[in-house]
Amino acid sequence: MTALAAIDPAPATRLTLSARYGLLGALLIAPTVLIFSAVIVYPLISAIYLSLFSIFTLTLEGSWVGLDNYATLLQGPTFWNALGNTLIWTIGTLTLQIVFGVAVALLLNNNIWFRSLARSLVLFPYFISTVVAVLVWRWLFNDLYGILNHLLVRSGLVDMPVNWLGEMPNAMASIIFVGTWKYFPFVVIAVLARLQTIPPQLYEAARVDGANAWARFWDVTLPQLKGVLIVIILLRTIWDFKEFDLIYLLTGGGPLNHTQTLPLVVYQQAFGLNQMGMAAAYSVMMMLVMLVFMSAYLYRTRRARSAGA
Amino acid sequence: MKPASFPRQLLLNVAAWAVVLAVIFPLVWMVVTSVKPQAELFRIPPSFLPDAITFEHYWRLLAETPFLTYFRNSLVLAVSTTVLVIVVATLGAYSLVRFSYPGRETLAQLVLFTYLLPSVVLIIPLYLMMVSVGLANTIASLVVAYTTFALPYALWLLRSFMAGIPEDLESAALVDGASRIGAFWDVIFPQALPGIISTALFTFILAWNEYLYALVLVNSDQARPLTTGVMNMLITSFNIEWSLLMAASVMMSLPLIVIFTFLQGYLTSGFGAGGVKG
Amino acid sequence: MASVGFENVRKTFGAAVAVENLDLAIEEGEFVSLLGPSGCGKTTTLRMLAGLEYPTGGRIRIGGRVVNDVPPAKRDIAMVFQSYALYPHMTVAENIAYPLRKRGVRKRERGPLVRRTAELLQLEALLDRKPRQLSGGQQQRVALGRALIREPEVFLLDEPLSNLDAKLRAHMRAELIQLHQRIGKTTVYVTHDQLEAMTMSTRIAVMQAGVLQQFAPPADIYHSPANLFVAGFIGTPSMTLIEGEATSDGNQAVLVASALRIPIPAPAGGGRSRAVTLGVRPEDVVVGSGPIEARVKIVEPTGHETIVLLEIGPATVTARVGDGTPLRPGESVRLSFRTEKLHLFDSETGRRLEVEHPLRLETPRPASARA
Repeated sequence: MTALAAIDPAPATRLTLSARYGLLGALLIAPTVLIFSAVIVYPLISAIYLSLFSIFTLTLEGSWVGLDNYATLLQGPTFWNALGNTLIWTIGTLTLQIVFGVAVALLLNNNIWFRSLARSLVLFPYFISTVVAVLVWRWLFNDLYGILNHLLVRSGLVDMPVNWLGEMPNAMASIIFVGTWKYFPFVVIAVLARLQTIPPQLYEAARVDGANAWARFWDVTLPQLKGVLIVIILLRTIWDFKEFDLIYLLTGGGPLNHTQTLPLVVYQQAFGLNQMGMAAAYSVMMMLVMLVFMSAYLYRTRRARSAGA
Repeated sequence: MKPASFPRQLLLNVAAWAVVLAVIFPLVWMVVTSVKPQAELFRIPPSFLPDAITFEHYWRLLAETPFLTYFRNSLVLAVSTTVLVIVVATLGAYSLVRFSYPGRETLAQLVLFTYLLPSVVLIIPLYLMMVSVGLANTIASLVVAYTTFALPYALWLLRSFMAGIPEDLESAALVDGASRIGAFWDVIFPQALPGIISTALFTFILAWNEYLYALVLVNSDQARPLTTGVMNMLITSFNIEWSLLMAASVMMSLPLIVIFTFLQGYLTSGFGAGGVKG
Repeated sequence: MASVGFENVRKTFGAAVAVENLDLAIEEGEFVSLLGPSGCGKTTTLRMLAGLEYPTGGRIRIGGRVVNDVPPAKRDIAMVFQSYALYPHMTVAENIAYPLRKRGVRKRERGPLVRRTAELLQLEALLDRKPRQLSGGQQQRVALGRALIREPEVFLLDEPLSNLDAKLRAHMRAELIQLHQRIGKTTVYVTHDQLEAMTMSTRIAVMQAGVLQQFAPPADIYHSPANLFVAGFIGTPSMTLIEGEATSDGNQAVLVASALRIPIPAPAGGGRSRAVTLGVRPEDVVVGSGPIEARVKIVEPTGHETIVLLEIGPATVTARVGDGTPLRPGESVRLSFRTEKLHLFDSETGRRLEVEHPLRLETPRPASARA
């Protein structure tokens, strides 16, 4: 037995243990890769390909136009108007989301009555369907029966009911406001989780050093939140930038395209104007814009982190 | 925390709860409106609290509109998507976290990238794809489309959860005589279960709330889910039936209310694990 | 036949070398400790033996057969992890029964076997608890139970005592020694604690930076360290090491280090002067008389003895003296070293140098060594 046991089977004909495990791992991720390729990678490449054609939505007949779509897009007012609106919307709602999110998180970080109930209630806007949110707010904004106008007129702040969604700058302000309401709980929860890991000794030390509440926030809390905020800002910017449902359902892009953002343009081109190729071109441009911003943001934060760290 | 003085405590509590109530006021108003009798609804000036509570709008919704069909469709849709995504993502996350093979890191980066993809880019090719495959206007087409955003998200969350399970546990199982699949089933899966439930809830909610894909891919009441169905009810009727719409909104949010009441812990833990951490 | 064998085993992580050219043959029934500072490669070696890491080169044998591509489940081993790695969702009984379950043992046969192992480790009362309800010591015993029930060819233990407090550690050390005497299976034990290694092992494999430094019984490691690293690593307080030149002073070999002149045994291989490091253990320093002038620097009474640090020229010597010896910092005393207990090392290679006088007296082998 010993002599036989000492002879090793030729390793070349069998896979090593680590190779066998590697194969199993690849097998487990195969369904994911398959689905990804089919519904994400292929359509993505498709979209770029389609943008080089002019396609009529209803018949799906198309003809090659090369980069014409992009040329038209960059010359026309639609793209630039939409880009501008998207930026205003994104920056507006992002700023408010962060400010309110941090503020409410700070508020909820104290030992208040029924704290976990408060936290859950604050999360509601984030989890309800955009459809529900839109219906609720349109009802609230209603000029005749809406409670908001009623309160404003009653309290004497305005003489006439406000047209929240049909006039500018109200429309942009309204979508920014509703967007903030819907999405700021995300910031609250994320920041709250981080706040709860800050050791209380830091605050006590600051107190002993004579810092007041504002100084404590600025010098202790904010630096601790920096990491989380960088990630939150990145995520929310991307998600707000590509938001379709909320704006489409609240204003449809109106009045007169003053709240028409890039995602809405894509939809309108494809299913309103029946120009699928053009719509694809818009969507590709939108992605490029996002890519530029994302890279710039990541570059800056990486530099700031290595410089300040 | 240092015990604050009572007036300060009181102020904090009042402020906090004032904010919370202001935030959920719109939703409270939604419920209030849904139980107000029709006549009271269109009273000017509007009343705060209903004079009488009625469920007539709910009955009308269920009896006179396709609401139940939409509800059924949404249910089938959300459950199917969740099951599919959870199974694929659990195996995928396990693979990404506990195995090494060429290309693994690239895949992980790719997952992150697709997480941030705008659906608007994909609607056109997906629409064309569904038409050519003959799946246009079916719930199945929506399930396929929903995986585009549900799968990366679930992978991201599950990966985070699984990475939190100590490696030693799996090693111990392997030494104790388990195969890798055996170790997964006996040890990793039970440990990951809270995370899986959390991810399943998130996925369900995402699928339940989705609007754009439903708008683009489905046109018939047979397959329409709640989101597009309810909005359809809004624009096809002569006058906007706000009472019905508010009742519909409440009913649409039913799964959410159920989850919040009974399974809330899973939601907040999901936030912590994958919601923010890169 | 060796129970466990490493043949030219090598492990790299990218560009970093964790284990280099490891050749080790462990006999059946031995208790071998892999001892070294953190990062020396001992845990990596153990994990390669378990099949949890894959060697980059070389062969690993268990019971004579090459196991490089054999999954851990089939290597006939059992392992106790530093973190215990108990399955949190299973009870103590289920944890211990798990290996049997994996082997296909029927449920009703598992029960008595689990109970027997539990009795051996005094765990009967805890069988229905979950791991989080147990103390550290109890968890460790459950981990042991789970390993014992496998009745493997080799036991692997990865610093199992390091998470316990000092008193419990001492107790568990004794228990493990008893267990090994009783069960007699080959055991490979990773630790950074030399006391554990010295008291429990039949042989110790000292490792540093991925390279095996010495593989020998504890007494040999202590009395004949193979190189400077082993000499300095083993023994508390550490051996004093003095660098200098070995020359001949008439017919007496002497170590010269600036103004110091210390008589030493003659290094084998000729009398040419060379760079040599002298090693002397604290208990081999005689304080009070001798040819070396010293100045007391620090006095540390420990209760049963006193540790003294003395300055001799450029070097500092550590010495052990009896409790109550009157010494004060700043005092001048005379020292001598027990010449037959001195160690010499080549300053350049670190290797131990043989000397012309026999150094070692007969030392009794520790009781834990197998006959």
